[in-house]
Amino acid sequence: MQPLIGLNCSTIECTSLSPSALIWQDVLAQAMTGELVAAMNYTSLSEMCDDPEEIADALEHAEGERGHAAAFAAEGRKIGVDVPNNVDAKHWKRLRDAFMRCITERDFIGCLIVQEIMLESFAVASYARVAKVAPGSLGKTFASIAAEEEEHVDHAMSILRTERALDAQRFDDKVYRLHLDVMTTLAQMLAKECKDGHCEVCHSSCVKPSLSEVSLSAAELRGASLQQYLKTLDLLGIPGEVTLAWVAQLPV
Amino acid sequence: MGGSVASVAGREPTLEVDFALVGHQESWRAAADVLAVLRGPERTPLPDDEIKDILPWIPPRAVCHVDVGSIVSTKIGGAKARGLYIDSFIPPDRLEAAYVHENIARVRGAAACAIKAGAKIVSLGGFSSILIEGNFDQLPERHDTVFTTGNTLTVGFIVQGIKKMCALEGRDIHRSTLLIVGATGDVGSGCARCLAPIVRRVLLSARNMERLRSLAAELQADGAQVEISADLERFSAEADVVICAASLASPSLLLGRITPHALVCDAGYPKNLSPRAEMLGAKVFFGGLGQITGGLKFAPDFHGILNRHPFPDVVHGCLLEGMALALEGRFEPFSQGRGSITQERVEEIETIAARHGIYLAPLYNADGPVEDRLHCQTEWSRG
Repeated sequence: MQPLIGLNCSTIECTSLSPSALIWQDVLAQAMTGELVAAMNYTSLSEMCDDPEEIADALEHAEGERGHAAAFAAEGRKIGVDVPNNVDAKHWKRLRDAFMRCITERDFIGCLIVQEIMLESFAVASYARVAKVAPGSLGKTFASIAAEEEEHVDHAMSILRTERALDAQRFDDKVYRLHLDVMTTLAQMLAKECKDGHCEVCHSSCVKPSLSEVSLSAAELRGASLQQYLKTLDLLGIPGEVTLAWVAQLPV
Repeated sequence: MGGSVASVAGREPTLEVDFALVGHQESWRAAADVLAVLRGPERTPLPDDEIKDILPWIPPRAVCHVDVGSIVSTKIGGAKARGLYIDSFIPPDRLEAAYVHENIARVRGAAACAIKAGAKIVSLGGFSSILIEGNFDQLPERHDTVFTTGNTLTVGFIVQGIKKMCALEGRDIHRSTLLIVGATGDVGSGCARCLAPIVRRVLLSARNMERLRSLAAELQADGAQVEISADLERFSAEADVVICAASLASPSLLLGRITPHALVCDAGYPKNLSPRAEMLGAKVFFGGLGQITGGLKFAPDFHGILNRHPFPDVVHGCLLEGMALALEGRFEPFSQGRGSITQERVEEIETIAARHGIYLAPLYNADGPVEDRLHCQTEWSRG
């Protein structure tokens, strides 16, 4: 599949750039791909909904995510790099497929859990970490998008808490099933090293070993993401000892 | 797996939580063991570097359920109390003053978990107790949950251990010169109040001279012979009984000059005194530990992981205080603040603990038991 926002993925223009620009290019590529997957997910969700308000809501979210992707592309241009994207990259495709299984089952709650609890936890936490170290407008963009994504989560939380109140055990079982699918993939994505080959988003070799050059680390991004995920599950009311075991069992 | 997870999750609304224990892991090895239990036997344990990367990010949360039994019988069997172990996940390499604000935030988070779980009483274990004893106002709003540092029962077990060790070694405690290191802390000052009336001479060492003077004046008013110094080396060669109520950054300051055949109770946190050749026969033992005889269960099973001692069902006194009070049905902040532990309060909590089968633990040190196990349980623990 071609990039959803058409860009030249080559790095020929980047040869005279500082090494950090190429690192930011890969960071932006991951973020942009995530936003585009989210946009696709919300669009799919809108097609499943019956309630006009829910449809409008989902489409608005999809548009917002596309706006975020465009903002990341613009930040790339400011530092002189094209930001590629690949929603068919292996990890992202698996995440998209997991979401689409919920769509197929017309499982609205499942869709919210995958997108708002799992994928957004990852986005909010990792963007916030990047925002702390990224220079200038790049950092500001990551910070403002992290804040917007957090608002999405707040919106979904009230729906999910209401759902859990109806049958906590059934709800927790559903979250666990989705956790095994989605969070296992996210954990592999977030592993300190990509053990199963190229992620198909980074422009050449894996960016993870180079993150220290921009005061980031793969371990930090993973840690912050898992922390955000655990805190979000706490807010849903799932017992902490249960979610701790879930996270402890993820691959590294 | 889904079934077991669901069953654990399903317990939440129905389980009444009498007590919560707030703790943390003392070493990376201990943290690795906890994570290995959580991962289950079918998964390979996490490599050490991954544990060091992951653990600091884990927010405070319950790790397991804890059931403690009493030797007191009821119509339906032995009395029991149900609780939770909540780990603050302070990384073992950050158990020091440089991280005090971060660590207090973690203990606050753990306290919030206890409140959310509806625990009626919360014991603050290990470093959590040290952090909070002077900062109770930093705990979250409490509702129906009370907090105790557990320091009173810790003092009780330290004092019992000293008396027992003296008896085992044939020493007359009344003729002893007692040195308390970290004497102005809650535990140190409590030990001083309990032991000053029965020893010949008391040497108090701590960093804060003003607090030392105040404590010395209090003890002298009751007739004790007391000397104070902020210089530990000044006293270390004079005492034949030593209580380290504070973990020593440089154990050699004490151990390098210690009296031959001195009895040294390592009651600091973390415990870092071990028997060494240069100590010329000094006997080191860990203080402040108690043993539950009415039964202790963890779910999931963390036996030997959360209580890493060479004897079964041994737990730090600070945690046992909350468990004993829960068994007694006395949900009150028994130990709070600093400097208010008296001999009467120690005797009161010891009586409560003993009523429920919680006694002084067999004495041991980093090398293992320091006494005959059978002797320990028959002669002293039940006395």
